[in-house]
Amino acid sequence: MSHEKNVCICRCEEVTEGEILRAIEEGARTVKGIKIRTQATMGLCQGRTCRRLIVNILSKHVDINDISKLEIGIRVPVRTIKIKNFIYDEGKGYE
Amino acid sequence: MSRKTDIVVIGGGVIGASITYYLSKRGKKVILVEKKDFAFGSSGACDQMIFLQTKNPGIHLELAIESKKMYKNLEKELNHPIEFQTIGGMVLIETEDQMRVMKEFVKRQKETGLNVEILDIKDGTKIQEGLSPDLVGTTYSPDDAHVNSLELIKGYIKKAVTFGAEVLVNTEVIGIRTKNGKVKGVETTKGTIGCEVLVNAAGSWAPVIGEMIGLDLPIRPRRGQIILTEEVPPYIKHDIISANYITAKYSLDRSFDNDVLGKLGVGLAISQNHRGNIFIGATREFAGYNTETTREGIRRILKHAGKLIPGIVNFNIIRTFAGLRPYTPDGLPIIGYVDEVEGFFIAAGHEGDGICLSPVTGKIVSELIIDGKTFIDAKLLNLNRFRHLT
Ligand SMILES: Cc1cc2nc3c(=O)[nH]c(=O)nc-3n(C[C@H](O)[C@H](O)[C@H](O)COP(=O)(O)OP(=O)(O)OC[C@H]3O[C@@H](n4cnc5c(N)ncnc54)[C@H](O)[C@@H]3O)c2cc1C
Ligand code: FES
Repeated sequence: MSHEKNVCICRCEEVTEGEILRAIEEGARTVKGIKIRTQATMGLCQGRTCRRLIVNILSKHVDINDISKLEIGIRVPVRTIKIKNFIYDEGKGYE
Repeated sequence: MSRKTDIVVIGGGVIGASITYYLSKRGKKVILVEKKDFAFGSSGACDQMIFLQTKNPGIHLELAIESKKMYKNLEKELNHPIEFQTIGGMVLIETEDQMRVMKEFVKRQKETGLNVEILDIKDGTKIQEGLSPDLVGTTYSPDDAHVNSLELIKGYIKKAVTFGAEVLVNTEVIGIRTKNGKVKGVETTKGTIGCEVLVNAAGSWAPVIGEMIGLDLPIRPRRGQIILTEEVPPYIKHDIISANYITAKYSLDRSFDNDVLGKLGVGLAISQNHRGNIFIGATREFAGYNTETTREGIRRILKHAGKLIPGIVNFNIIRTFAGLRPYTPDGLPIIGYVDEVEGFFIAAGHEGDGICLSPVTGKIVSELIIDGKTFIDAKLLNLNRFRHLT
């Protein structure tokens, strides 16, 4: 494996560029496809660090028209949030 | 591209993957065709439970018990870490009315052979700390289990490939070729595949495949929204469900729970995975093929979770997502050949039980296709059961 391929792309899950490229070879064409095969983006930061890098690598392997279909997959909450704060209602408390 | 095989399996979810594995293990040449990628349907957006206690006593529970038996050996068989664990399960009971219904449900489950008991809340708290003291009681079964659905799909597929199966991702089935009322092949976005048998394992999309031969399948997508927390130390010691999960699922007794009557049925399910993330789910809603999560749905689930296990509100949530359970009117999957076109086999409609029932489904499908019979009365699962109604 060449030097670049050992570069760590996802720090939380310790996934290298080589592993990302292998997932693409197996047919992954979306961020979610990469996630399923390598666990990249599944760490505590939920891909905030690595998603951009993965989109970058993917974009070299998909048709330009398909860039919008990468299923980048950001979901609520955009940042982690304590459940308590999410369900609290002004005046009504938690109920 | 134009090629031939024995059997084409449509859909790369847990059901299609299992069927591909069990058929190729028995020597059949199988090509699995998946529109997008593995686990892009419900199987990649779900919880992890193999929960025997949530199954209706009778054929439904029998299927789950058989599946659970098969799971015990599966990790070794697939030679892949699927994180299967028999962790035990509890159904939390909030009111006296629920207690009455659960007593009856448990009695019938015991008759089907399930090892399950009802505990008062004091005894319940001994096996799972942190339960709300306001609960009336809980059931407990040591037999409930869970599994990592993504790893399970990967495991089935990897092993199937060693038996000679082929897997095509990013390939959509767009038509069925028939001649004289028999299946002759499957048309895909990457060419035609000749075959005399196809298995429609497209989950919530199975009706779209059915339509290709003019078949009207009674399967509808039933959305489930679910939440994942940060990784925390072991906190949820057994898989947990609220009694209204069972009522939301089967609409058993509509009188005691408004959630069930509302559009947004919530049946709470809580479990912790190997990494320490806690799954908190889920809604049961008909919202077409929409897989968005809603603030209302997520808050509803979390509020209920906080009511039953108050300490849980101190954790951080890191992700929400939603999947489409393939719902059928009687809660059982549709498995078997159809009468209209020879060689057209359906294995879809597992609603909230596809992970749990995937091994037994693979077994039944492979036996029906190869041996023409299986260990249960196949009529009970055939599409024709809905036709007798009309
Ligand atoms: C929130 C939630 C929690 C759940 N929790 C549990 C649980 O704890 N335990 C449990 O047992 N079950 C659970 N389930 C249910 C489980 O997810 C489903 O029953 C199961 O995943 C169904 O699997 P499937 O393979 O039939 O469908 P899917 O996984 O949806 O797979 C169908 C596949 O077919 C593909 N497809 C569609 N059309 C075509 C076409 N034209 N050509 C080719 N491919 C096509 C799709 O892309 C998809 O990948 C849960 C579901 C949800 C939503
Ligand atoms: S860097 Fe990939 S999930 Fe955090």
